Amino acid sequence: MIYVVLAFLAISLLLYVLLAGADFGAGIIELFSSKENQAINKKTVYQVMGPVWEANHIWIIILIVILWIAFPHYYNILVLALHIPLTLVLLGITLRGVAFVFRYYDAYKDSSQILYDWMFKTSSLVTPIFLGLTMGGVVSGDIINPSQMENHSFLEVYVHSWFNVFSILTGFFYAALCAFLASVFLIGEVDDTSKSMYMRKASIATIVVVSLGFITLAYGYLSGIAFVVDFISNIWSISAIVVSGILLFPLWKSIKSGRRIISRALAGIQIFFILFAATITHFPNILFTTTGSISIYEQPVPDSVMNVLGISLLVGGVLIIPGLFHLLKSFKLIKLLER
Amino acid sequence: MENIDAARLQMAFTLIFHIVFACIGMVMPFFMVVSHKKWLNTRNPIYLTLTKSWQKGVAIFFVTGAVSGTALSFELGLLWPEFMKHSGPIIGMPFSLEGAAFFVEAVALGFYLYGWKKIPETFHWFTGIIVGISGVMSGILVVSANGWMNAPSGFDYINGEFLNIDPVKALFNPAWFTQALHMTLAAFTATGFAVAGIHAYQVYKKRNVELHKKAFKIAITFATIAAILQPLSGDLSAKDIAERQPVKLAAMEAHYETKKGAPLYIGGIVDNETQEVKYKLEIPNALSFLAFGDFNAEVKGLNDFPKDEQPNVAMVHYAFQTMVGLGSLLMIAGMLFFVAKYKKKSWFNMPKFWLLFALLAPLGFVALEAGWIVTEVGRQPWIIHNIMKTKDAVTPMPGIVFSLYTYIAVYTILTIAVTWLMARQIKFLNSVKTNEA
Repeated sequence: MIYVVLAFLAISLLLYVLLAGADFGAGIIELFSSKENQAINKKTVYQVMGPVWEANHIWIIILIVILWIAFPHYYNILVLALHIPLTLVLLGITLRGVAFVFRYYDAYKDSSQILYDWMFKTSSLVTPIFLGLTMGGVVSGDIINPSQMENHSFLEVYVHSWFNVFSILTGFFYAALCAFLASVFLIGEVDDTSKSMYMRKASIATIVVVSLGFITLAYGYLSGIAFVVDFISNIWSISAIVVSGILLFPLWKSIKSGRRIISRALAGIQIFFILFAATITHFPNILFTTTGSISIYEQPVPDSVMNVLGISLLVGGVLIIPGLFHLLKSFKLIKLLER
Repeated sequence: MENIDAARLQMAFTLIFHIVFACIGMVMPFFMVVSHKKWLNTRNPIYLTLTKSWQKGVAIFFVTGAVSGTALSFELGLLWPEFMKHSGPIIGMPFSLEGAAFFVEAVALGFYLYGWKKIPETFHWFTGIIVGISGVMSGILVVSANGWMNAPSGFDYINGEFLNIDPVKALFNPAWFTQALHMTLAAFTATGFAVAGIHAYQVYKKRNVELHKKAFKIAITFATIAAILQPLSGDLSAKDIAERQPVKLAAMEAHYETKKGAPLYIGGIVDNETQEVKYKLEIPNALSFLAFGDFNAEVKGLNDFPKDEQPNVAMVHYAFQTMVGLGSLLMIAGMLFFVAKYKKKSWFNMPKFWLLFALLAPLGFVALEAGWIVTEVGRQPWIIHNIMKTKDAVTPMPGIVFSLYTYIAVYTILTIAVTWLMARQIKFLNSVKTNEA
């Protein structure tokens, strides 16, 4: 049953990174757009993401709940060491969610929209940066093991764990990835004039993602971060990254020829490879402290807990997935047929 | 401020907000589908306008409820890591099922909000029902997890370790039913009176009267039925607490000495030093009867428990009095509506009638929050009743007070913004002609 739970954990992580990522990215694109393009983007985001917007963000709750039920020891270390960035992620999610609703549901469209838009765009950038920072913190190797916390200062335990160059680079890398995803997703949703705008955004985002990815890995390798060093010398993860990079070429081809389903699938596969590369080398030891890595299996929960969780997830999945699929179909594929 | 006090205040503060958002998001879909059904049956455009404006309310509160709920799911771990480390696996089941219910709700809401004229009418209406039912399911499941903190079960506690974990037994802990029933009814009462009150005020101000009267009637009908059932559910809760958490019951009643035929105190000022309750109204033997169904039953007093295992008596007592007092007031007010509806139709033309309900609007939520103070403060000093103390569960990270200030600032702004937004919705509703919507 642990594999069912792990599968759901992996799926939730992938879908959150992908769907919420595209969501964040839409805001980032808007932040870096001219006034005219901002208006186009605002309308597109409403049409495309409105119906599925809430569903996109529930994956993180599923993720958190699985972690605390099935891997409480692992979760415990995360919430202690990464308290501050996680709190900031939360504030970001809160402000962004509220701004999203305000800007589309306010009864009057007046000057207050300027404030909502500003809130939406800024939190769209800040949230994924801190999210990426948190993910970077998990693997950067600066987390202090809770058993040794007493011998360290506040800064060492609660700040250095995530406020380091590698984690910050990871944060910016993830934000760029979000912008990349959003532009690829949105290209298929607009008319030809706006299309070129998103194409331009997509190419900028691609360049930023590739260079930031390279810088992050190079920095990690040069400063001897165990996670990155092992990652680069592992044949599986390095090939996954290379494949993910190569996929950019068919992706661009398919964007240009307007095959949006294939473009989206390719972008999704790229993210899958990046996450695969990040976890395969060390799994199940995917948390790095100053004194070595920690396994997600450490201090396992009893089978009874794992079984009940697995069954709940399966039942929940059976209930939700057809509905979710139907939702996507009703609002996206139907529109495709109409064209 | 001590770290633990800051953590408790932050938790209390975020919960107080989340409860309001979540209750409205959970109950309003029911008002919405009733109005929607009336539109489908009568094709009276007023009901369509009303349904559409309520759906905006549902969307706004669903999202604010969802994000404040996401915040809470993080905060549980961030503020109480030691608690979550041990209880996470045990009470995981209600949370994972709640995640599923919440997901169903989000999917159904996606259909509902964006489905006008796109999906078949009846199916569209039905997705609204799913929104309501899955919302109530979420609420029940989360309350069940809280029930477990009051009535820990589904494990053996041996030498400080949680062994033989049975998550299903933990889900159906002895407190889940009474708490979930009481909370669901409270959500309907509080939201019903709040929504009815807002529309009553509009009628009082003579704005778009026909529409607001219809809205008022839908909301107040739900609210009154729930308010009338609530004392029965309260009685079940009281008897349950008398069995399982006698110290909480004693604090609710500021009952210090163990006694047979204990009296019930109404109101009064608690002096914890002299163990006296001044200026109270005393009903002989009533507490024994309410707690055990026997006028001469023995009710344990606070002095039977060590001082460091007692909650803040005054706070629990005042909160309990507030909850019961306001709950009774609302029940009577709801009955007035039924009298007006069936016997005294002329009351609907009296401005005072509408003003009364407008004034009652916030009281349901005040009662509901007071009820949560009773159950949460009344459980102290325990986070898991008789197993783990709150002070042993708090995060070792210093400086939580800064996090507290941030949350206070953000949530205050949020509240002002949501209130302002709602005011604009109503203003907009009054400015459009019904058939244009």
